[in-house]
Amino acid sequence: MPDATPKPWGETTIVGKPIPRVDGDERLSGKATYSLDLYLPDMLYGATVRCPYPHANVKKVDLSEALRMPGVRAALSDADKEANIPWYGAPGGRSASRLFDTHCRFAGEEVAVIVAETQQQAWDAVRQVRVEYEQLKFTTDFEAALKSDAPPLHDGGNLAANPVNVTRGDVAKGFAEADLVLEETYRTPTQIHTPLETFGSVAKWDGDELTVWDTTQGVFPVQNSLANLLKMPLSKVRVIGHYMGGGFGAKLSLSKYTVMAALLARKTSRPVKLFLTREESFLCVGNRPAHAMTLKAGVKKDGTLTALEFTGVGEVGGYPGGSNAGYQVQDLWKCPNIHVVERSAMTPMGPARAFRAPGFPQGNWALEQMMDALAEKLGMDPIDLRLKNYSPMCQVEQKPYTSAGIPQLLTEGAKAFGWAEARARAKGKGPLLRGVGVASGMWGSPGRPPSTAIVRYYLDGSVNLNMGAADLGTGTKTVMAQVVSEELGVPLERIGIEWADTGTTQYTSASGGSKTVASDSPAVRAAALDVKRQLLALAAEQLKVPAESLTLKDTEISGPGGSPKVTTRELRTLQTQQVLVGVGIRGPNPTDKSVRPFSTHFAEVEVNTRTGEVRVVRMLAMHDSGRVMNAATFANQCLGGMTQGIGYATTERRVVDSNTGTMVNSNWYDYKIPTSKDIPPDLDVMPIDLHDHECDTTSTKGLGEPATIPVATAVANAFYNATGVRIKEGPITPAKVLMALAQRKG
Amino acid sequence: MLRKFSYVRASSIKEAVTAAARPGARILAGGTDLLVCLRNGILAAETVVSINGIKELKGIGPKPGGGFRIGALTTLTEIAENKQLPENYTALAQAAAAAASPQLRNQGTIGGNLCQRPRCWYFRGDFQCLRKSGDQCFAMSGENQNHAIFGWDRCAMVHPSDTAAALVAFDAKVTIAGPKGVRTIPLASFFVLPKESVLKENVLAPGEFITEVSLDAPRPGTRSVYRKVRERGAFDFALAGAAVVLTKSADTVQSARIVLSGVAPAPWRAAAAEQALAGKRLGDESIAAAAAAAVKDANPFGDNEFKVALVRGILEEVLSGMA
Repeated sequence: MPDATPKPWGETTIVGKPIPRVDGDERLSGKATYSLDLYLPDMLYGATVRCPYPHANVKKVDLSEALRMPGVRAALSDADKEANIPWYGAPGGRSASRLFDTHCRFAGEEVAVIVAETQQQAWDAVRQVRVEYEQLKFTTDFEAALKSDAPPLHDGGNLAANPVNVTRGDVAKGFAEADLVLEETYRTPTQIHTPLETFGSVAKWDGDELTVWDTTQGVFPVQNSLANLLKMPLSKVRVIGHYMGGGFGAKLSLSKYTVMAALLARKTSRPVKLFLTREESFLCVGNRPAHAMTLKAGVKKDGTLTALEFTGVGEVGGYPGGSNAGYQVQDLWKCPNIHVVERSAMTPMGPARAFRAPGFPQGNWALEQMMDALAEKLGMDPIDLRLKNYSPMCQVEQKPYTSAGIPQLLTEGAKAFGWAEARARAKGKGPLLRGVGVASGMWGSPGRPPSTAIVRYYLDGSVNLNMGAADLGTGTKTVMAQVVSEELGVPLERIGIEWADTGTTQYTSASGGSKTVASDSPAVRAAALDVKRQLLALAAEQLKVPAESLTLKDTEISGPGGSPKVTTRELRTLQTQQVLVGVGIRGPNPTDKSVRPFSTHFAEVEVNTRTGEVRVVRMLAMHDSGRVMNAATFANQCLGGMTQGIGYATTERRVVDSNTGTMVNSNWYDYKIPTSKDIPPDLDVMPIDLHDHECDTTSTKGLGEPATIPVATAVANAFYNATGVRIKEGPITPAKVLMALAQRKG
Repeated sequence: MLRKFSYVRASSIKEAVTAAARPGARILAGGTDLLVCLRNGILAAETVVSINGIKELKGIGPKPGGGFRIGALTTLTEIAENKQLPENYTALAQAAAAAASPQLRNQGTIGGNLCQRPRCWYFRGDFQCLRKSGDQCFAMSGENQNHAIFGWDRCAMVHPSDTAAALVAFDAKVTIAGPKGVRTIPLASFFVLPKESVLKENVLAPGEFITEVSLDAPRPGTRSVYRKVRERGAFDFALAGAAVVLTKSADTVQSARIVLSGVAPAPWRAAAAEQALAGKRLGDESIAAAAAAAVKDANPFGDNEFKVALVRGILEEVLSGMA
């Protein structure tokens, strides 16, 4: 049985190094086969009929004309029995909808699907489908949606879930003790995931076995849901999710297109590819909910927080779901008295999905701007106010952290960024103003089981790593190969990797929640150690020395001082078996301590007060994510997080026409993700490693989400520092800047 | 996805005119706008007439008798990086460089840039708006932060071209070929405001297309600047922009041309601002007066009020930089 708790690494030889991606060449050269690149013999192509209205009843779907179009082979709608599949969970284990529910609750909802010999024929056929709709009343204002007179999307109204109501201590008492109380309302926009790779699946049946190639962050959750909905055993559903072009949380679970592809492939006895267009992917595969958040904070003259009261409403779109944003209010800063009330409102818009730290950039926008405002009123440096309220304990779980580097992130970051000097510098004269801002953040859950990995050692000294984890483009394969190489001394080029395939790899949960490295690398390490143990035991037997006296380096096993010596190729049992199989299982987390990653970002911005343009001049990302597994992929995650955060801060938002209830910017020129011109070259990344050997056996805590959580707030605080004007509703666009500056002038 | 159409690759202007005069014909140059419009069902085409094989439509060069000609097929990159035009025409190069993204500038042509359809998200989206023969302008009570503060009427779209503003400021002319022959008109009178028609943005009749843009030789002492403000650094249309052409002697402005982009259904000449500068020393006082004059007749509605401050800010910045 593998030892679940090996000793922590000391000095490492390959872990931590900026190793280029093991699959960099095929990803960059276009040789990698993404799901969209898959062309199977006899494959059909799908296209979806979508409801153009935000809220409507489908009265009639007439597919007859579409089915007569050239190349069209089949279609599915709610009238087909096999399409009677429950969709969108609702409280009480019920489902709120069906695959093609005739009650449509957002513009873009699926009404029918068609397959044809070519993609163009499928798209053309969609235009020939005649659907009769009865339009229903709606409001697109998510705060108004919770009022009693708002048109309900579901029986029982537009409240998506039971409100969150968390109390710690007594906020009334806390506010009474405060020397200063501030209350502000902050708003954040709806952000769309927009991964470079769009969304879709290829489905193929062999007898009663289904194989799906999906663009997914988690092949096992997709397999589970698919088997469940199609009433099939897990063993007959294989999901492959090899190369991925980003998901950001939108590809964590089963999507309708996968089910539609599977049903149509069964119906036509042919493989079916169903991919969304870019425009569709803005509508129906998730978003970061918009939020309205009122935060009231009480603080003593010396900066000690006495109370935080947070009331939030988030917009989850057409179907039930949670949109909670208040976690950091409860946990980031030490505060004895907390009251958090959160509600999630349904509107006739595309349903929200997890998006890179669900709820956290929103809550951070409120909390960390409030900290900035408190610091100013108290005449304190924002760094000092945060240091004053540092909590070495997870207040939500009431346990100490295994490590919490907030003080180091703040003080070492301030030094590296030149914080004091930058704050003291003149803001600038004339129309161009400069300012600096800081914001801290934390992520609310750790890496954890389950994860099982297998490492196979072949007679020729090459190694196969077999893991279920997806590589979303973050470098998971590279990092895990480094772990194997670290333990076995095998060079990377002799490590083959099988990954993200339910047919050939072992179970792990989806890659999300910043937990892939922290969940899967301990399992991979344990599997490699299992192989090593077996190799040493075989060598010990053959050399007749105790296994403890032997060391393994690549294919060489030797005793102290290099003697006795044997190569793995010479191991008789291995010669007979040809392969050794090591199994690693992710052990449990500590029960008496909490594991959390932390970050603190510093930003400098330049504001053109004549034109309202805001330019991020430079940023520094400070991270306590435990051990750096690969300095290059680590920096990459941070640069990506900052880029996405700068978009969230300055340009990105879904724009909805309230009269028609439809999105008007569902394309890449109107929905503005940052370009290389919007991201400064001066983006620095500095990890702090506190050698946390309690969190897991690779000392890792997760990075993907902490890398984006505080970005927009740091930019907002820098904007305030530059102008003295606070823009509480993101994004900070030239339009908002000019209107706010004009108001200040009066 | 694209509806069926016939394709003609014309090798001469005459051949192109003949083909373009057919009902439902569309001219194809760089294709960066036409193909998107066809794909998205915004336009229909029975015939697509490519003019890309017509050599005389390409390139920048001196004109007999002075000045310069820019062939309609000249790409925005060629204009942005040109060495043929004198420095006085900087604003045109700046406007071309500020458009779109590198790939689009390599492909997009000056003729196409002047003829591009509106970028209004209602026009581009699934909305049967006035400009697509519908019965309403959705922007009037909708999401109108990007819309016009000048010259709008039943439709409030803004003309998306950057180069158009610069060219109008230089008094450029366009030569148009068509079934009735060739005509040359000032670019300023090429554009059509919504009060005249909500179905077209320019005066081109069926079968007509731009063959070249011509510029007079610049007057000595002329300097020019194009400044564009957009939400992101590339691949974005103007929230507002200004092409400013000044002829100065010593400190005094002899003449000024100020043409705004992103704020009206056509390149918008700020004549009052020009007058506020003429004969004045270029300094804080005259600059403030000109910036205020430029927006005196602004007519914002809904969420585009910020554009009034933006136009003032742009002009203050540009004129201060030229002082």
